Amino acid sequence: MITIKELSDDNLFTAGHTACPGCGVAMSIRNAIRVLGKDAAVYVPASCAVVFGTTFPYGAWKVPFFHTAFENTGACLTGMQAAFEKKGKQVISVGFAGDGGTYDIGLQSMSGAAERNEDVLYICLDNEAYMNTGIQRSGGTPFGAWTTTTPVGTKIQGNRRFKKNLGDIVAAHEIPYYATLSIGHPLDFIRKVEKAKNIRGFRFLHMFTPCIPGWKMDPAKTVEVTKRAVESGMWTLYEVENGEKKITYKPGKMKSVKDYLMMQGRFRHMSEEDIKKLQMWVCRKWNLHYKEKGAPQICEIAPPEEHHAVTEEHREMHGP
Amino acid sequence: MFEVRFHGRGGQGAVMAAQTLAEAAVIEGNYAVAFPFFGAERRGAPVLAFTRIDNKKIYSKTQVYAPDCVVVLDDTLLDTIDVVAGLKPEGIVVINSKDKPEDIDLGKELRTGAINATSVALEILKAPITNTTILGAFAKATGIIKIESLEEAIKRRFGEKLGALVGERNALAARTAFEKTVIGKSKGIKKLEPRKQWLPTYQELPVGGALVEGKTDAGLIGPGSFIENKVMGWATFRPLRDKEKCTMCLLCWFYCPEGTIVRISDRGDLMTNYDYCKGCGVCANECPVDAIKMVRARV
Repeated sequence: MITIKELSDDNLFTAGHTACPGCGVAMSIRNAIRVLGKDAAVYVPASCAVVFGTTFPYGAWKVPFFHTAFENTGACLTGMQAAFEKKGKQVISVGFAGDGGTYDIGLQSMSGAAERNEDVLYICLDNEAYMNTGIQRSGGTPFGAWTTTTPVGTKIQGNRRFKKNLGDIVAAHEIPYYATLSIGHPLDFIRKVEKAKNIRGFRFLHMFTPCIPGWKMDPAKTVEVTKRAVESGMWTLYEVENGEKKITYKPGKMKSVKDYLMMQGRFRHMSEEDIKKLQMWVCRKWNLHYKEKGAPQICEIAPPEEHHAVTEEHREMHGP
Repeated sequence: MFEVRFHGRGGQGAVMAAQTLAEAAVIEGNYAVAFPFFGAERRGAPVLAFTRIDNKKIYSKTQVYAPDCVVVLDDTLLDTIDVVAGLKPEGIVVINSKDKPEDIDLGKELRTGAINATSVALEILKAPITNTTILGAFAKATGIIKIESLEEAIKRRFGEKLGALVGERNALAARTAFEKTVIGKSKGIKKLEPRKQWLPTYQELPVGGALVEGKTDAGLIGPGSFIENKVMGWATFRPLRDKEKCTMCLLCWFYCPEGTIVRISDRGDLMTNYDYCKGCGVCANECPVDAIKMVRARV
């Protein structure tokens, strides 16, 4: 296993790119490609990473880089890998898609590639909304979050749907490797990228990448917020290898989700009732992942049984 | 008609400034429009916004090419952008700078109002968001809008979006700037050469736009060429590392989203390349031994 000290000094994603200060995506990309090394070829669909990483004719990537449309990361990676194989080249085809390009728009293409078990590495940079186009809701947006398409009004405040469980969707394709990563846990991060590098078949790395303007937070807190997400149970670090799920980091003591929410402007409007609802969802998730009940002073206050998808708004719209 | 062009960086609130100015003009019984320039804006990247004010209806929908006033929210923009391009000869420049107008080189001698808006904003708003502060300076330098109507517009617009207290504070920032603004004449020495661009003919353009590493008259192109894009102008703060305290855990080197912190392996040391530092502060926040502190860049 590589430690931070043993990482390469090679800057394969150079300085001078135009990401926002404190960008979680830039951090994740830089370190992922640092571990993958120069025998990688990168595909990026429409996302922030295209805009800040390449502005024709300039680019920050020092590895082959390719970009076409939004919805075809899986298909493009398949084609790239096929071409490299035909030419007899040992190259890792890596796709860096956003959550919009994975949860919603790119889901079919990703699913196809996963089903065929293509020998590619798919990386989802999950910043929980369409940040590049100006913060619109995606399937990855958590409950209660403000976005421009889930505004805060007098009747409804923020997003009413819960974050889609992409992990289970991807793992259900029975691929060799699926893992969730957080930049706030460097050793776990490096180990998982390295592991994915050395496995053959469809590998999926799911990275949690804070967005400063979209989450309305202090740029200095990017790493801190990912740590708090893991401590509270909003994000879980685990891997699924050939169908076998393993938790790779378990927080010692569950922290209240409120600590995490109050760091970010996108949640600051949330009512006590909404926070409770989200806390309930987190407790349920905690239970599913860690096979134990969350901290009693946090989880036992919330009513335990209600199914997370059936909210009051859902009932109003669709009936019971 | 009075036309204003705002030069700022993403996150400083140039668009909000343009809108607030328009609102203040409407409060005084005028007609006004405000709109931003749409591009691939990022926080910290140069942005443009425009305001038009008139006492009759405004039909012009184009960008402002010959402004009566240019407002510059960040003086680091002067190094890369010709902010006074198209400005009318009797036009006015309002600029956020620590210097007096006489020490600011705009390439032309122009009536200039200068205010250290970043300091005022940091003091009153606790954040380097200079839009309301610079509007106070605008009112003083141009005199086409009363500071009272500006305060009213700020309270309305910011109060509505961010709460009454924020509105009050921003109005106070504008008032403070109004009183502190120094008016004078700028220097006209430098000749700003527009940045050269690589403009190949279609025969020269590689198939599919596929570029390999290359060097042109306009600088590097292709993979890794962003290294020539210096972004130090984005930073309000920058990190200072205390070598005595540093334990070389390399967390800052790992976390830095820019690659600003460079490891010198043979000396077992770190170096900060401020050319690429955007001043996010992640390194200072994450340092386990508090060896890094953030200080104001360019004071």
